[in-house]
Amino acid sequence: MFLADIIFVIILLITMVGALMTVLLRSLIYGLMGLITTMFGIAGLYIYLNAPFIAMMQILIYVGAISILIAFAIMLAGPMFKRPKEWTKPVKFVSGAVTTFVTFILFLTMIMRTEWVGIKAEPINTTTRDLGRALFDKFVLPFELISLLIVVSIIGAIMIALYSRKEK
Amino acid sequence: MTGPLFNNLGIYMFVALFLLCCGILGIIYRRTLIAMLISVELIMNGAGLNFIAINRFLYPERVNGQVFTLFIMGIAAAEVAIALAIIILIFRRFKKIEADTLKELKD
Repeated sequence: MFLADIIFVIILLITMVGALMTVLLRSLIYGLMGLITTMFGIAGLYIYLNAPFIAMMQILIYVGAISILIAFAIMLAGPMFKRPKEWTKPVKFVSGAVTTFVTFILFLTMIMRTEWVGIKAEPINTTTRDLGRALFDKFVLPFELISLLIVVSIIGAIMIALYSRKEK
Repeated sequence: MTGPLFNNLGIYMFVALFLLCCGILGIIYRRTLIAMLISVELIMNGAGLNFIAINRFLYPERVNGQVFTLFIMGIAAAEVAIALAIIILIFRRFKKIEADTLKELKD
């Protein structure tokens, strides 16, 4: 139990440091690295939350697909070192910090004050089979709509690329 | 706060809140469109973590939260595809992706 706690704290630190890296580092590609670190940390948290299938999907989709897509966009959007610095005006930083601080305090008090009834400390094993059953039994319509949405978005991306080429 | 550390709902919700705050700060603070998109990804991940945590601690006999996290991932993938296509288009036309320099539609 002690070892599990240590690993949990390490995963927690990986997630938080990755999120801070994503926001605060100057370079865009380092920010992407921070995003990938955060994704791995969250996959570890999913394993602690008794959802190993979701953890695998997290690594596959976010690290495997979305991060590669963003990396390609960063590479296609020109050489970044020629751009002006990422840092913006101090007014913007102050407004962002104030908004973030207010949100943090608000939701932190909300989390602290809420009394959750019926917390079960011992997990019940829900397997991937249950997940698949729910996906094709209770959630058929949203599942099919998500697949339709992805097809539409892919076709839309292709159409955007085609039209922009035709304009030239 | 009883039992081992990873058996507390509050810690997971705190991590999700931390991700949300980082995302908000990134959206306001960063300048390029791609960095803002990355911040939106952080926020969506925080939402998914909240779904899974509440599913695990309050309704461990069901899988609804896990299903919704899968849906969030699908929506995030679609959104990123479209948004990156638009960003590449903007870059081709205006040669820049900083949000405060794109003033074509202003006024």
